[in-house]
Amino acid sequence: MSQKECPKGKEALISLENVSKVFQGKKVIDNVSFDIHCGETFVIMGCSGSGKSTLLRLMTGAIRPDEGRILLRGKDIATMTASEMDEVRKTFGMAFQYSALLDSLTIEENVALPLKEHTKLADEIIGIIIKMKLALVGLRGYESYLPSQISGGMRKRVGFARAIALDPDIVFYDEPTSGLDPVVGGVIDKLIKDLSAKLMITSIVVTHDMQSVFGISDRVAMIHKGKLVEVNTPEEIRSSKNPFVQQFIHGEPTGPIDLFKEDIGIPEALGL
Amino acid sequence: MVEVVGRYVIDYYRWVKGIFSLLYGILYWIILGPFKGKVVGRVSVFSQMVFMGVRSIVIVFFVDIFTGIVLAMQTAYQLEKMGAVIYVASIVAVSACRELAPVLTALVVAGRVGSSIAAELGTMKVTEQIEALETMAINPVRFLAVPRFSALFFMLPALTILGNLSAILGGYIVGTNNLGISPDLYMQTTFKYLKLKDVYTGLFKSFIFAMIIALVGCYEGLNAKGGAEGVGRVTTRSVVISFILIILADCIITAFFYFSKV
Repeated sequence: MSQKECPKGKEALISLENVSKVFQGKKVIDNVSFDIHCGETFVIMGCSGSGKSTLLRLMTGAIRPDEGRILLRGKDIATMTASEMDEVRKTFGMAFQYSALLDSLTIEENVALPLKEHTKLADEIIGIIIKMKLALVGLRGYESYLPSQISGGMRKRVGFARAIALDPDIVFYDEPTSGLDPVVGGVIDKLIKDLSAKLMITSIVVTHDMQSVFGISDRVAMIHKGKLVEVNTPEEIRSSKNPFVQQFIHGEPTGPIDLFKEDIGIPEALGL
Repeated sequence: MVEVVGRYVIDYYRWVKGIFSLLYGILYWIILGPFKGKVVGRVSVFSQMVFMGVRSIVIVFFVDIFTGIVLAMQTAYQLEKMGAVIYVASIVAVSACRELAPVLTALVVAGRVGSSIAAELGTMKVTEQIEALETMAINPVRFLAVPRFSALFFMLPALTILGNLSAILGGYIVGTNNLGISPDLYMQTTFKYLKLKDVYTGLFKSFIFAMIIALVGCYEGLNAKGGAEGVGRVTTRSVVISFILIILADCIITAFFYFSKV
């Protein structure tokens, strides 16, 4: 589906309806509902272990919800067969937290992989596409390198190039700036914005990096302990009265989000 | 106690089901893949054949030649008492081709290749590379397990033939140098008693052993959990399980051939 059929902000591309997911008896996603619109950059933020990566994996169909529905262009992905899901997966790309490049393949082979698997393009055409995609992420000339021979930030960018290889409608980014210095993080943020604008992609970004949240998002959702706290524009999130949101964006150690007391239990263990 | 036993039974059931499900997946992609336009990459099968087969030649050669030497000396020790030392040639050849070369080659390959398959796929699993393939709508069984299974299915019997020849060479060295058997007589005796069926029963075993090593290595690797420790665990498990299943399968196949008089 092209962006011409789906003008920005008019139509829900992905809808989550009362989605819950349980792992080993623990509800890690609890009755979450929101819409993601065509063409927007939607950021999901929250503390480590809040369930935001699980939410991403639910949207990519890697795991299925225990309750609720996830509609992609109006179709519930939980009810799709494996082959239907594969067809859907060809329309989106995923950039993983640790890049997840295949170690044994060169940068060129990694980016070429989805093209070779899902198209009948000649090798020469695939070679041209790879050069274009690598140019978009600023990595021309690195085609013959192995993933182990380049830096973490470069690996992330190769992951982006692979994610956009098939010209997807949607790209999911899992913690795109984690583990990177602020300058490289800024480069990655700019790249996500540029790719979204140039290729008219709907971007769904999971992060806890506030620079990214306010730098790239059209709308932001905050998740805490698997529950949706708030969905709003970045400006409204910044001025939100919600104490969870305020504590998170200012990085306050005390407040309603009490990791020690609620999650780790160390103070109790120490009798504090 | 009942709970512990029950958990073991359930785990064992899941493991067996998982192995057969993987075998089904591999056979499905080998047989039906070409009709769906998904041919197994010749380059990846070839590179696996080089790694599994060509690079195992030296270790298989040494293990089997020394086994042939030891076997010749041990049998000569008994046969000399009966004045039948000439039969060292046939005993070495027949026992190597029917039993020792297929089993020892499989054990060597399980240790070298099976562990490598489990470690490589396990690392891919814990570093999200398998999930990345699934997200790109690339079936990990077709992309990763089929080339490894296909390569080993052809290379283990090839290595077994090399093992047969190495063991016979080991026996020949001892027979002609230490037991006073002339080279011509040694070879004549070898081929007088070594039948084609001895070779193909051994090769039949090696095909089964190849399936065991590839399936166990791939299954353990694709189901790795928990980072580096998890990769180490599945690597060890794959070798231990392959060893046990190879010996078990050898026992069953040998019993089958023995009682059916093949």
